[in-house]
Amino acid sequence: MTEALRLSHISHRFDGDLALDDISFTVNAGECVALLGPSGAGKSSLLALIDGRLRHWQGEAKILERDLSPQRPPRREARVETGFIFQEFALVDRLTAYQNVMSGRLGRVGVLSSLLSRFSARDHMAVAAALRDTGLNEYAGRRVDQLSGGQRQRVAIARCLAQQPRLLLADEPVSNLDPAHAEKVLALITGTARREGMTTLFSSHQPELSRRFADRVIGLKEGKVLFDLPSGQLSEEHTNLLYHGTPVAAGLRVVS
Amino acid sequence: MGRNALIWAGFAAALIWAGFGADMGLEHLGGSGARFSEFLGRMLPPDLTIWREVLRGLSETLRIAILGTVFAIILSTGLGILASSRLMPTVIWRPVRALLAIIRSIPLILVAMLMVGAVGLGPLPGILAVTFHATGMLAKFYAEAVDASALAPVRAVESAGGNRLQQLRWAIWPAIAPTILRDTVFRFELNLRESLILGIVGAGGIGLYVQTYVRSFQYEKAATVTLAIIALVLLSERINTALQRRYS
Repeated sequence: MTEALRLSHISHRFDGDLALDDISFTVNAGECVALLGPSGAGKSSLLALIDGRLRHWQGEAKILERDLSPQRPPRREARVETGFIFQEFALVDRLTAYQNVMSGRLGRVGVLSSLLSRFSARDHMAVAAALRDTGLNEYAGRRVDQLSGGQRQRVAIARCLAQQPRLLLADEPVSNLDPAHAEKVLALITGTARREGMTTLFSSHQPELSRRFADRVIGLKEGKVLFDLPSGQLSEEHTNLLYHGTPVAAGLRVVS
Repeated sequence: MGRNALIWAGFAAALIWAGFGADMGLEHLGGSGARFSEFLGRMLPPDLTIWREVLRGLSETLRIAILGTVFAIILSTGLGILASSRLMPTVIWRPVRALLAIIRSIPLILVAMLMVGAVGLGPLPGILAVTFHATGMLAKFYAEAVDASALAPVRAVESAGGNRLQQLRWAIWPAIAPTILRDTVFRFELNLRESLILGIVGAGGIGLYVQTYVRSFQYEKAATVTLAIIALVLLSERINTALQRRYS
């Protein structure tokens, strides 16, 4: 099976503290992995690193067959292949839902034509498909500052889908949602990703949702990998370990 | 002595120095009421037969303000990007900001006199002066608008593979467009007001007529020009307010 990403001994300091502490794991192509952990565990930093937006880290990272540099941002061709769903959505309020979703195509179109907002039929088709998949058809022409929070989040998801990445990263996609909504959103993200053959990595602090929607759960605490196991094996013991600081029992640390 | 007392003493000293230290002619203030009314009498009634000249002068001023503003917008777009700490490294934006501060500190009328020296009399030095002077302010405003815009959408476009120009066009521009429009219209109104006097130093526009009529004691004609200027300024204020309301 081909590897979508491989992290080897990744460490990163933030304000003098170790935000990421010797992290190593691989994710196979097509896998859906949850990064589970309390806030401050390093989930967001790790996702930003994989997205190529973190600088000054140690270790080696290979993302979609390309080596990631700790000094320089990845090239355009590499950034296009990694999609990111931001926790705070990161939309442009004064643009319509359609235009926001279209901005997910910017890495795939000619710079000049995108400056003149001239997009190809292929770009329009990708946007239309993303809007349809997220149930936003009727809101396409609305400015996003006139949409509800849930609709805005779906615009953010659609923007990432329109990008057609091979690797989809989502930072706490359901942290602010009630349980019913959280399930719908995770089903939408992981379902679409599976159908399109994307590799998915999402962070969450909810064990139950991680177990249900991911193939594999990686437990992060204080910048370290605490466990890494198939989601079916995630037990209460693991979550206690993660959230209540029960000392690490011998043999519990499962690293594949 | 407390700090406040020191400050008040300073104010008092400045006032005494300004009013009594030199011959400022303040002693004539008492008997000037009669002279004022006589002067106003000579302005009345305004001589409306010169309406053609007034219209020609006003339209020249308006054209100077329009062209000066357009050229300033073009220059400010480039300089504004260079002066943005969001888009440029410190070694570029800091010197550019300093340059803009220097440009802003030179009064328009002084720039106009220098431009007349450089390119001769007529509206051209006026246009160049307005362009130069307005760019100092407009480029700073543009840079500040860019720097105050939200960072998250810029990150999103970057993450999707967009380059700097695309980030500017798709994440920053849509957010700052109303601010840019407001600042630009405001600057146009200033340009119009300030270019009314350019003719006094030979840089074109209605100012020439003001100077000619006042110097040749034709106060009833000067009155007509003054009324026309007031009308134009009020009109431009109205248009500005309407635009602000429409685009926000």
